[in-house]
Amino acid sequence: MDELKHISHWRLLFKINQIQNWRRLKSAVLSSRLHAFLMGLFIVGYAWLAFELFRKGLQFTSSFPGLGPVLIERMIFLLFAFLFFLLLLSNVIINFTNLFRNRETHFLLTLPVPHQTIYKWKIFESGLLASWAFLFLIAPLVIAYGKTYNASWHFYLITPLFVGLFVVLPAIFGSWVALFLARWLDRLAFQVAAMFIVILAIVFISSWLQPEVVTDEMLETRVLDVVDRLLGRTQFSLFPFLPSYWVSSGLTQWIEGAMMGSCFFGLVLLSHTLFFGYLAAFKSGGAFFSSLSTVNSRGQKETLWSFVKSRKISQTAFEPKFLDHLAKLFWWSKRDSRALIIKDTLTFWRDTTQWGQSLVLLGLLVAYIMNLRYFSHRLTSDFWIDLTSYLNLGACALNLATLTTRFVFPQISLEGKRIWIIGMAPLGMRRTLMTKFFFSTAVSMLVTMALVGASCMMLSVSIERMIYFTATVGVMSFTLNALALGLGALYPNFREENPSKIVSGFGGTLCLVLSFLYIVGVVSLMAFTSFWAFGGSSFIMFVIGWLVFLSISFFLGWLPLRNGIRRMAALEV
Amino acid sequence: MIEIEGLSKCFGDLIAVNDISLSVPKGEFFVILGPNAAGKTTTIKVMAGLMKPTRGSVHVCGYNIESDPLDARKRMAYLPDFPFLYDKLTPSEFFRFTGQLFGMGESEIKTESDYLSDRFSLGEFLVKPIEGLSHGTKQRVAIVSALMHAPEVFVLDEPMVGLDPHHARELKDILRERADQGMTVFVSTHQLSVAEEMADRIGIMNQGKIVAIGSHAELQAANRDNKLESIFLSLTTETDG
Repeated sequence: MDELKHISHWRLLFKINQIQNWRRLKSAVLSSRLHAFLMGLFIVGYAWLAFELFRKGLQFTSSFPGLGPVLIERMIFLLFAFLFFLLLLSNVIINFTNLFRNRETHFLLTLPVPHQTIYKWKIFESGLLASWAFLFLIAPLVIAYGKTYNASWHFYLITPLFVGLFVVLPAIFGSWVALFLARWLDRLAFQVAAMFIVILAIVFISSWLQPEVVTDEMLETRVLDVVDRLLGRTQFSLFPFLPSYWVSSGLTQWIEGAMMGSCFFGLVLLSHTLFFGYLAAFKSGGAFFSSLSTVNSRGQKETLWSFVKSRKISQTAFEPKFLDHLAKLFWWSKRDSRALIIKDTLTFWRDTTQWGQSLVLLGLLVAYIMNLRYFSHRLTSDFWIDLTSYLNLGACALNLATLTTRFVFPQISLEGKRIWIIGMAPLGMRRTLMTKFFFSTAVSMLVTMALVGASCMMLSVSIERMIYFTATVGVMSFTLNALALGLGALYPNFREENPSKIVSGFGGTLCLVLSFLYIVGVVSLMAFTSFWAFGGSSFIMFVIGWLVFLSISFFLGWLPLRNGIRRMAALEV
Repeated sequence: MIEIEGLSKCFGDLIAVNDISLSVPKGEFFVILGPNAAGKTTTIKVMAGLMKPTRGSVHVCGYNIESDPLDARKRMAYLPDFPFLYDKLTPSEFFRFTGQLFGMGESEIKTESDYLSDRFSLGEFLVKPIEGLSHGTKQRVAIVSALMHAPEVFVLDEPMVGLDPHHARELKDILRERADQGMTVFVSTHQLSVAEEMADRIGIMNQGKIVAIGSHAELQAANRDNKLESIFLSLTTETDG
């Protein structure tokens, strides 16, 4: 009897990938112990700082008699509701790449591994990839929640069980959405649909975020009524068919000592996880292969433009396209640089998962800024206007940092095995990097300066302060792009074609951490040395603040970019 | 061993493979030739189970690749032009993994991988991470892993790419040996010399159709030409126009 015949394919795949990932981690640690140490420090530091901040915040909120527990409970429901939607989105994107664009998937399909097993393995892998960062981010909040209510030790044991069951559902639903999109929508149809959905979402969120009109009289006499109306906006998180409702109810009831109620929700979660898990694990392999075959068989033509077919391909193929005409407006730049920019733009546009994510991020930001107009009427105190304007600056910069880490950082890695094309061209690596840098910076500046300018208008701040804020975010755009591109060149991953995986490596994480630290530091610095805000500082302090800001921005951008250029110039292609 | 009946594969409006039928019996060394975009790789991908045919069917060892994919794939091996390998594994770990996927026992894996590694001079690389190996060495690793479970049908897409003359010779020899022992070999290549030297039968594809099929001698007789190159050029140029 053969001793190995009964090892399941799934176990083999798990084992082999575990070895792969362990070795990847080990080689990352061995290649730079300092970076590994810094990363460890950041992880521990974040967990501690976040826990302390959340604990203080929750303790403050819970100190309002009667109202505190209600607000905290609703916050937990909201946290898991948003987590559910974010995990769903993240799983759709990662599953799409992992199921249809992944070389391991294609390799496994040629082996005697059932389609079902491949699908099961890939959604497991995607689910892990999509969920770990979210779970790491919310863990301090959940622990702080337990500490605030002096939860007993078993709360910290039961919580991972609840959350573990919960994250399975968005992983499964996300993979099914990915199968559906791949099966029924080609790139163009998907792009049109995504654009339409984002516009709808912006309109919906803008109207949903409109604040309630509350008079001073109401605040004096009918506080509970006002709170009730405010909480009405978050009612969706109490929709009983949302998995987030089950996990939130389970945890809040456990804290309150209502074990039976908590177990009920735990069982509801378990039964759904088992039911959908069964469908995913045993019944979705055929749908997966149908979708994969459709993706592999999709024609190159774009059906909406089929009228173009009446002209011969030879007539149209080399004619300048829209982007070529647009690039001619930049007549002072070199032709090879313009060619590189056109190539990058086309690649970005044709990679649906890439621009789909940027659309979502920008959509959220636009919705947020559009709503500032409602706040401006309510913000009568200078302090709150000052605070909101700096928070806007921070929000825009954080959003930009997410975009630069997600899209600018992997640019060099995504050249992959094609790096020799630009490496061998007269363009040279230095100018390649600089072209990419200036292009991404120009686009970033255009978007962020417009958004910050718009937010200043919404808050009705003076023209000189509007210039101050837009100039600040403009400088930050330079730094964040230089940092992302420089680190991307310093830590390239030419083997990986999935941008999500490239970003989740050491370099990507370092980029995100440095960007966030830079933003927090710089926004605080600018607020404290502001000529106008928070009482206003002296002109000397204002100038010193700007000098420090410019110096930090220059060095944090220039150093990685310079080293990245050197690294790429020395790269053997 | 390989039965292709009325196979068509379309990509949107493009017909990549147009109603081809072909039978490759047990132990035959079959070489498919054709210019770029003739439909060779698409045919192979359908055979390997990477995509569904638009029309028609493919049977491997009597099993329909669509309805009985596992039974078919257990009996075959597929080597693409750029094979996927787990870069953090060593070749020996990779052989063990693929062997286990095919249900081979520990001793069987060891015997086969030792023997084949020796033939493809992989001894010194067996415990080195795959990521550090040259393209040719990686290609040899992929060949060994494909041959380990003694497939009844071996489908290869441009197998000589990246191999040095010594190992290209070794591959030809081992394919010939295995074919003589009953393994069906289906090779897609642009190297006419491989077809001339190795093939029992040659198929020439152009624009999604098989435009000629037969042994080298039969093709020579039918086209009144001695050189495979001129036969190939005349057949693929005629239908181009």
